[in-house]
Amino acid sequence: MDLGNVTQYGFEVVSNECVAQDVWRLIVRSDVAQTIEPGQFMNLRVPGDGAHILRIPLSFKRADADDGTVELLYAVVGEGTRRLSAMRPGDSSTLVGPSGNGWRAPAHAGRALLVAGGIGLPPVLAAADLLSALDVDFDLIVGARSAAMLVMPDVEACMASAGDDARLVVCTDDGSAGVRGFVTQGMEELLGERSYAQVYTCGPSVMMAGVARLARKAGIACQVSMERMMGCGFGACACCNVALSEGGYALCCQDGPVFDAEEVAW
Amino acid sequence: MVSVSMAVDLGGIKMRNPLNTASGTYGNGWQFEGFYDVGATLGAITCKGVAAEPWDGNPAPRLAELRGSAIMNSVGLQNPGIPAFVDLYGSYLQGLRDRGCQVICQVAGHSIDEYVRAIELYEELAPFASGFEINISCPNIAAGGAAMGATPAAAAEVMAAVRPRTSRPLVVKMAPHDVAEIGRALESEGADALSLINTIPGMAIDVRTRKSRLSRPTAGVSGPAIHAIAVRMVWECAKAVKIPLCGIGGVASGEDAAEMILAGATAVSVGTANMCEPTCVPRILAELEQWAQEQGVNDINELIGAFEC
Repeated sequence: MDLGNVTQYGFEVVSNECVAQDVWRLIVRSDVAQTIEPGQFMNLRVPGDGAHILRIPLSFKRADADDGTVELLYAVVGEGTRRLSAMRPGDSSTLVGPSGNGWRAPAHAGRALLVAGGIGLPPVLAAADLLSALDVDFDLIVGARSAAMLVMPDVEACMASAGDDARLVVCTDDGSAGVRGFVTQGMEELLGERSYAQVYTCGPSVMMAGVARLARKAGIACQVSMERMMGCGFGACACCNVALSEGGYALCCQDGPVFDAEEVAW
Repeated sequence: MVSVSMAVDLGGIKMRNPLNTASGTYGNGWQFEGFYDVGATLGAITCKGVAAEPWDGNPAPRLAELRGSAIMNSVGLQNPGIPAFVDLYGSYLQGLRDRGCQVICQVAGHSIDEYVRAIELYEELAPFASGFEINISCPNIAAGGAAMGATPAAAAEVMAAVRPRTSRPLVVKMAPHDVAEIGRALESEGADALSLINTIPGMAIDVRTRKSRLSRPTAGVSGPAIHAIAVRMVWECAKAVKIPLCGIGGVASGEDAAEMILAGATAVSVGTANMCEPTCVPRILAELEQWAQEQGVNDINELIGAFEC
């Protein structure tokens, strides 16, 4: 049994800006940058509100160990993230991490396919960093409800490291950017044209279920990053259960958030 | 200032200080090793409730955050069964014992037979257990749990069945109602200590969907919001029984723990605060010790039940 390696770090806000509709970019200075791996997450305390006692679990886009900073993208969806968006440069608090298991390197050589829906984008961008460090080429499908909710500068920067002949497919529910429709439609088209060794996906559960189904049908290994309402974020409270295909439950925080799609009971 | 003796005796469980952990909020201890040295800090830990056989627990979602310093959970005692629990965590828990931290193993069951079977398995497999906590108050399981402790007669029946199966200390985790009457019934059947309170059943409805925010209609409320209720129940129970109590409910500071002790608790468990501020136990312990010093006592036992009214 590995003893817990999750701990508490201080963090200081470097910048915190709205970059798309309800999407914010937060850069924090924190020693967690030295240890956190792509696909792991951290649990932030927003100071100054005793009424809300839980931390906010957030995945991240990129950690810069040299600079000691972590870059996160988050959606303002409720009271906690609204208060987080009010934190200003210089404000400080604590975070708990690095939590969970991150993305794994592809098991087979070949092109990877990355599929991000909504605020599932940041961990997918972290997976892109992992792949480019391994010299693995990838294609990227990004979905959002509308053009206003896309974080295109980050998507375009990601494609710069996607390798030769990389494809980007943007899907929006309302057709205001890219093709109108869900990411699974974009995925079906790409699967018809190219072969992939590995799929990495994060987004709404129903979207990931669709991505997992397509990957399975095509015989491609698929890693999914799950989201759950979380209590502690490090395996102590058993509140963030994910139903397993073999029966029973895993804990999203401790056993995930990255799972093999085949493990999950969709 | 002179140092205060912090050691307490929870029904035969000799704790180096009064701090314990509320079952279900603390994993089985090892999750907190990255935050502080668990074995060198706590008086005791109370492990996650485990039954003789594995339980899956309840479907997601199991958690909701409430406005006003509280959460609700409906985990439903997900556990791997006692043999797997011992395989996975036994050597770690023995290490806690070796470092002076008592280990209280919690017993879950759907029926009296299952409680008895669980105690028998622990007796056979868990030499590291300093004592057991019988959970007759889980609000989140369909059979057993809270129903087993709902009346003095039902609680006494469980106690009478498990008492002959072990000579190790038996603590009983109580539901947040009728604590004086049920406490007396448990004491008369040989309970060594009582721990209270378990979470308070509540509801949280998503008004858009008209459905529960959790996978079950009701779930257990915990956190600072319930602290005052828990202190009151500890006080009521302490007046009714002679056996020691472990106070549980919304403890997040030394002052909260001190209130429990003044109300009559010998030990104090930290629960939900472990999830929100995993570094809180060393801080609470330091604050509690400072309070005892400021009260001018030599021994924290002098403050148990020292509430003045």
